[in-house]
Amino acid sequence: MGNRFGNAYGLTVLIPVKPGTENNRAYDKIIRDQLQSWPKHNESPLARVPNTYLARVFLLQDVFYEGAPAVEEHLKNKYLVFTSNFHGDLDTYLYGMWEEISDVLQVLLKYCFAFENIHSATEFVRYIKKCQINNSLFFNGSNDKPLPEQLKALYVKQAFIHFAYLTQHLRNQGDSGAVNLQQSFKKFVDLIDIENLDGNSWPVAATQVPVEIEQDVKATIMGHKEVSK
Amino acid sequence: MNTRNTVLDLHDIQGNIVFGYGRWGYPVSRYLFFKINNKRQGMAFMKSLVPLITSSAPLDKQNNGTAPPATTNVAFTYAGLRELGLPDESMRSFPEDFRMGMKARKDILGDDGPSAPEHWDPIWLNQYDVHVFLSINATSDTQLEQRYEQILQLIDKTSDGVILLSGHRDGDGSTLSDYQSGNAIVIDGKPTANEHFHYVDGISNPVFKGQGRNRAETVGAGKPTRASATTDDGWEALEAGEFVLGHKDESGEYPIAPKPRLLSFNGSFMVYRKLHQNVGKFTSYLEMTSKHYGDAKLSTDEKQETLKAKFAGRWSNGAPLSTYPDYASAEEFGEQWQSATEVLFYQADATTEEKNNAREKYETLKAQRRGFNYDHDVDGAKCPLGAHTRRTNPRGSLEFDTQGAFDTPGAMVNRRRILRRGLPYGNSSDRTNNSAEHGTIFMVINASIERQFEFVQQQWINYGNDFKLSNEKDVLLGNHGETQDGNPDGRTVINGNKTLGQPTYMCSGMPRFVETRGGDYFFIPSLTALRMIAEGIIDPT
Repeated sequence: MGNRFGNAYGLTVLIPVKPGTENNRAYDKIIRDQLQSWPKHNESPLARVPNTYLARVFLLQDVFYEGAPAVEEHLKNKYLVFTSNFHGDLDTYLYGMWEEISDVLQVLLKYCFAFENIHSATEFVRYIKKCQINNSLFFNGSNDKPLPEQLKALYVKQAFIHFAYLTQHLRNQGDSGAVNLQQSFKKFVDLIDIENLDGNSWPVAATQVPVEIEQDVKATIMGHKEVSK
Repeated sequence: MNTRNTVLDLHDIQGNIVFGYGRWGYPVSRYLFFKINNKRQGMAFMKSLVPLITSSAPLDKQNNGTAPPATTNVAFTYAGLRELGLPDESMRSFPEDFRMGMKARKDILGDDGPSAPEHWDPIWLNQYDVHVFLSINATSDTQLEQRYEQILQLIDKTSDGVILLSGHRDGDGSTLSDYQSGNAIVIDGKPTANEHFHYVDGISNPVFKGQGRNRAETVGAGKPTRASATTDDGWEALEAGEFVLGHKDESGEYPIAPKPRLLSFNGSFMVYRKLHQNVGKFTSYLEMTSKHYGDAKLSTDEKQETLKAKFAGRWSNGAPLSTYPDYASAEEFGEQWQSATEVLFYQADATTEEKNNAREKYETLKAQRRGFNYDHDVDGAKCPLGAHTRRTNPRGSLEFDTQGAFDTPGAMVNRRRILRRGLPYGNSSDRTNNSAEHGTIFMVINASIERQFEFVQQQWINYGNDFKLSNEKDVLLGNHGETQDGNPDGRTVINGNKTLGQPTYMCSGMPRFVETRGGDYFFIPSLTALRMIAEGIIDPT
């Protein structure tokens, strides 16, 4: 089926929510309350799940009635829907998910059918696979490299833009010569540390260009200038 | 039966829509704005205006064979139409962009920071005050003043039922005027097509069906075909419905328009924007940034003029970079243009033969100014990908050299064309000044403000993704902001040109050169609709 696109995987999961209430609030509403109170951006639990390109989680209340002459239909249950585009295979991804955010998942999924039987990573992976539906079409919007590589690439690209602007500026200020440029470039290469995925990189789920990138490039190149004077 | 040609009743369409009034014939203008306090008096005022309204018919066919010395046109805001008592059902049928007005669309337009509505001229500060727009274009100051007085007399008769709104900043910015002036910039005693950054402006306006233009005039101005851009076959006139309501548009349908059909037929929508130009900032940025541009041996003038051309996509004299990529060829174009127009328009003792030769040369040069595209300049080596004219009129370049990517090379652009009208205002003879009142009264005429003007402004001026330039903005018109430490943050890349030995050049620290100082969205009714509005007989049922 269409769950795979190169090394990228498209996961669609519909987890049925139990009927019932707690403190006068229906389970599905409690689930939504929880989702709406999740922290955003890089604080979001989903940002902690390794190799996630893009994930969505929401509560599906019912199917939409399109109007006559369509047949009016309803779902038997409400569903917690989880979709994710990620790098790698499904088992590794789900194990990683349990490892990182099982505390959040346990609070959320306890209102779902049969989740009371889930106590380990292996059981969680089996549970999610039971709730999985196969995609008929899946298109991955990014490339299919591991997330840390993609983030590093974004970082290097942004850092290099600042390097290019800065060295042109320095050249216009009279800092001429290939040797100077080469030395600056060596410093730059040290700074970006391109093979080291754990070093300087683009932060997960950043919503704007981190100002630190420009500051670091500037400090590195200018610092080196000061020393060589 | 005529089954093929679009026929427009030019006598029913207001003037300045099908043809602009032109800076040479009508170099001076005034824009007046009225508030209607009393519906009856408002209608009476409209009725009294009808005989003065200029249509889109050839000017020498409107006035017993002589062109009118002054023209008059009117348009309405949504609030204005309500004050004039248009029925509710008609009011509700107007598109959302027009109903909301320009101020409420500020997030789409990027009118933030110094361009935000709270900094606009006082006339725009009270919501819903501006009801009626009236423009006068004239052949001379005397004619302008006469027509203005004539309008004031009509206003007097309404006993304050209609009032002329004051509040246009003028002079050094501290005085307020009852009207907004617009004047062609005069250099050496001659009105020019320059704007205040001293580029020749308004060169390529779209050509559409029903204008009665010949095929040569569609070159570079219509929609692109796959034939050569320098030939008649390379272009076709756009559908009239892109600019005039009630006619077929580029989607093969009638444009969305208010009800009843008689209200919208032969009408259009107009965007009026007062755009202040920071002449001092532009001059100093260009001076500073061009110092290191290009070969060190080049003269200061050559460096500055070349970088200035790279910002716009055209040299200051109007020659397109795509056809005239280097300084010398652009200079030559300028000299030829100068000599042809001198003989044609100013040299009283020129012989008929000299005039004919000059006319031929002039037409050729005019065609060369418009008849080009970017097929041989995919990398932006001649005209940068982010240059102003390449952004706002991409001429089929959004196929990015993948011939046949779309059914027609204009698929992504034919529905984003706008007619540009208006004139510069103020004096910028002090080239270091930012604060005095000088800029452009920028007017757009289009069938859909949202699909045409707003799209160009939002996606092509203030964003760069369609040109593979991520979030870079247009150098000249972009709403450049500030970095976290308060420095100007605009930047652009001038693509390198190996043939000319020009390396890629990066411009950063660019301040906002153009700021919005006011404006709104207006509906321009046909003469038929204007009469009906004045009579109160618009009936959508």
